[in-house]
Amino acid sequence: MRFFSPGDRKPRVGFFKFSCCTGCGFQLAYFQKSLEDTLKSFDFTFFRLASSSGTPEGPFDLALVEGAVTEPYQIIELKKIRANSAVLYAVGSCAITGGIPAIKAGVPEMEVQNKAYRTKLYGLTSLRPSVLGDYVEIDGSVRGCPPGERDLQEAMVSVLFHRKPEFAGYSVCVECKIKGNICVLVAEGLPCMGPVTNAGCGALCPSYHRACYSCFGLMGQANTAALKGKFRKLGLTEDEIERRFSLFDALETKK
Amino acid sequence: MTGENVFQKNYEVLICKELFAGWVEGLRDDFKLIGPVGDGVNAEFREIASLKEANLDYQSTMLPPGKAYLFKPLEEIVLFNAGPGGVAAEEPPIPVQKQVLIGVHACDTHAVFYLDKVFLGAFTDPFYKARRENTFIISLNCKTVTDLCFCHLIGTGPYLKAQSGYDMLLTDMGGEFLVELKSERSKNLFNVKGRPPEAGDWQKKDEMETRLLKSFKKDFKADGLRQVFLSRPGHPVLKETAEERCLSCANCVMVCPTCFCHDVYDETDLSLTRIKRMRRWDACQDYFFAQVHGGNFRSERQARLRQFVFHKLDYEGQFGLKGTVGCGRCIRWCPTGIDLTEIAEEMMK
Amino acid sequence: MNPYLPFKAGITGIRRETGDVRTFRLELKNGLPSGAPGQFNMVGYPGVGEVPISFSLLPSKDSPLFEHTVRAVGRVTDFLAGFGEGDEIFLRGPFGRGWPVNEVKGKHLVLISGGLGLAPVRPVIQMADQLNAKRITLLHGARDPESILFETELKEWRKKGIDVKLTVDEPGEGWRFHAGIITEIIRPLKIEAAETLAFICGPEIMMRFSARELFLKNVPRSNVHVSIERRMRCGTGLCGHCQHGIWFVCKDGPVFSYQELSGYPDALL
Ligand SMILES: Cc1cc2nc3c(=O)[nH]c(=O)nc-3n(C[C@H](O)[C@H](O)[C@H](O)COP(=O)(O)OP(=O)(O)OC[C@H]3O[C@@H](n4cnc5c(N)ncnc54)[C@H](O)[C@@H]3O)c2cc1C
Ligand code: SF4
Ligand code: SF4
Ligand code: SF4
Ligand code: SF4
Ligand code: FES
Repeated sequence: MRFFSPGDRKPRVGFFKFSCCTGCGFQLAYFQKSLEDTLKSFDFTFFRLASSSGTPEGPFDLALVEGAVTEPYQIIELKKIRANSAVLYAVGSCAITGGIPAIKAGVPEMEVQNKAYRTKLYGLTSLRPSVLGDYVEIDGSVRGCPPGERDLQEAMVSVLFHRKPEFAGYSVCVECKIKGNICVLVAEGLPCMGPVTNAGCGALCPSYHRACYSCFGLMGQANTAALKGKFRKLGLTEDEIERRFSLFDALETKK
Repeated sequence: MTGENVFQKNYEVLICKELFAGWVEGLRDDFKLIGPVGDGVNAEFREIASLKEANLDYQSTMLPPGKAYLFKPLEEIVLFNAGPGGVAAEEPPIPVQKQVLIGVHACDTHAVFYLDKVFLGAFTDPFYKARRENTFIISLNCKTVTDLCFCHLIGTGPYLKAQSGYDMLLTDMGGEFLVELKSERSKNLFNVKGRPPEAGDWQKKDEMETRLLKSFKKDFKADGLRQVFLSRPGHPVLKETAEERCLSCANCVMVCPTCFCHDVYDETDLSLTRIKRMRRWDACQDYFFAQVHGGNFRSERQARLRQFVFHKLDYEGQFGLKGTVGCGRCIRWCPTGIDLTEIAEEMMK
Repeated sequence: MNPYLPFKAGITGIRRETGDVRTFRLELKNGLPSGAPGQFNMVGYPGVGEVPISFSLLPSKDSPLFEHTVRAVGRVTDFLAGFGEGDEIFLRGPFGRGWPVNEVKGKHLVLISGGLGLAPVRPVIQMADQLNAKRITLLHGARDPESILFETELKEWRKKGIDVKLTVDEPGEGWRFHAGIITEIIRPLKIEAAETLAFICGPEIMMRFSARELFLKNVPRSNVHVSIERRMRCGTGLCGHCQHGIWFVCKDGPVFSYQELSGYPDALL
């Protein structure tokens, strides 16, 4: 067989974290459904959240990297990870679209640095937030905040198979309709971001009768202008619209 | 058997609504009852215990009953088991649950005929086929129309004229239902005694239909579209609508009762022992739909919107039927209200 | 019958054609294979997916073995490239309407192929003796001499009486044939327009320019057949991905006459 079979050496995985809340790591280490099989099939040689032993040096069959790049040292580390890994997937919105750490993108760098990075406790240098793909080639994006089951599983399986992954690229609306939710945007006028948001969550928010807030980030070729137009018609102010679009996609919207 | 003499000549009968409801409830032993629940255009076909839960005065649903209950949004189509002896393919079980769809409007009944052409054509889809055979369809002539309905222009409603392909047709006559039996199995199953309709009843039915036909708001010419579409596939209205309003969100396709497209993908568990080959409703509005290695035949948003509009209003040569049944769902559930009939009209100008 | 259920096929041989192109010789594990020139199978592996691949050699009276020639370009085809002799793959088929070989009788058959497009044309050549063509010409274009497929068979095909003409975009040292684009070897071709039947397979843009050369020679649109490529998920007219106008490329095609294709948007043709 072509893939890693039980007799083979287990693929070595390294899990790395940059600027983020570590939620993706938690998702992988504690919450996902196939945890047992994941641990059986892979050798986590570096995963701080699960074990304090292990080396970040590699080599890795798979590197999973969460977090946005907001500090200079991270670029050097990221390049090293890339060099030591056969496959590198960006995990979570921070690593892929900038996510929450990128909200500062709209504020001048010095202002951020003085306000948040240079305090009595820290003396850090602020860098304009950016995503992994800006510095190294990534082999795929496991989207979400935190990632959904399907894409996470696809990421792991693709490595076992030595094949390219196929992640969901369609809108949240597709998942929402598959669930049969009555659309909160059309039926109730809630400002749902589903039409421009990449699928993967299983339309979680609309399933609980809430508007999607785009935590998976924009899908490819999202027509943001058209949805903003719709939100205007619903009576949202420009500021409210801006906030909805910059919560997870500040890098896109504040270019 | 009761009712024998009533049905000897024709299979039509008027019965009071309570009696009908009682008969439906009696089907519960063998069938899952599925009927419209909720009001207006936001009703939903759901499993019900009795007709009391259903609202047969509903106007429309978001998901169409035929598509939702015959062609599942997500379904296993092949299973693979991997073990030391290799990998073996296995057919997932064919669905055997009997179900009755109660209150299917004329447009949605026609949509099932369209899906039949797709899934029971040159290649038969075993899952659709099994469900279709196990589904007893009770259609219902509409009492009201919505401002987005245009079945009258397509010939798919508001009263159902088809004589076969479904089981029963109901018309609400006030206190009674006019029940018309359209399949052999309905003749075996429906055993309620009632009053045979008389000339006056038929006249009343005709009058109701005429009145209903006058209440339609939508009007556009569906004839001659072929030529227009052929000569102006790049009409600016497509580009403008696509760029200014279309989100490529695929809601239009998801709610369309005749859209049949689906994706096929494999779901593998991490122990690599069980692989499920799945199908999932897919949409030509999605960017990746027509992508191949080295290109994408509909990378432009306007090309995708055009595929939808043309497939619904033109391309009749594909199955010998129009792709639309005039239910208006794609317009209603499009977040920006994109209307295929308006696009067609603009192109016809 | 579940049309999605794949069969197992064993790999009995692999030939490395050019850098990323391999020909797999296959044998069905159960039952006898069938197929016609221009038809395809959905080839793949559980957990990876399936893709349409044309027959590059058909099973025949003499041998139940058949061949698929595959270029590794992505998820599924890269995975297939990792297989070796003795391994098993999964496939379904044969699907589609192939080349109209019944119309060849008495005609001048012009086969035009670009790159990997020679693979689906090869079964036509395989049955050349049975076609009763008046004449068969094969015009093949490739990027460079190294990427010409089935090179060892060309001599054999010439022996069969097929007039083989080659061209490459980038000729190296010692290239004896034409250098340039395919249309340049179509243009000098002497043909009787009404008596000519053309089968074209290659990148869509190459097919368009090749067909145009033939139309300039007054070959009727209904006599020019092309094999087109679309995304395919089922191969059976169910999934809708391959639709082009009213056609399902998987079941109504992949071979169409130019006549049948004209008038629909979203194609180069
Ligand atoms: C009728 C037909 C015959 C073909 N015959 C051959 C052949 O003989 N030899 C050969 O090497 N190639 C052939 N192809 C092209 C081959 O199918 C694609 O190269 C292959 O699908 C790429 O899949 P992938 O997963 O490796 O690539 P990726 O780029 O990773 O593709 C991802 C997915 O996109 C879809 N896809 C991508 N490209 C195509 C495509 N061109 N056609 C259909 N679906 C696509 C597939 O579903 C695939 O799984 C043929 C295509 C068609 C339609
Ligand atoms: S509720 Fe939101 S995600 Fe769901 S269909 Fe409506 S717009 Fe899309
Ligand atoms: S529902 Fe409307 S916005 Fe969404 S893809 Fe369809 S036409 Fe475009
Ligand atoms: S409109 Fe699009 S999704 Fe619907 S059936 Fe046609 S091609 Fe498929
Ligand atoms: S195209 Fe629109 S109006 Fe026509 S059947 Fe589909 S959803 Fe209904
Ligand atoms: S490949 Fe599915 S319909 Fe043609």
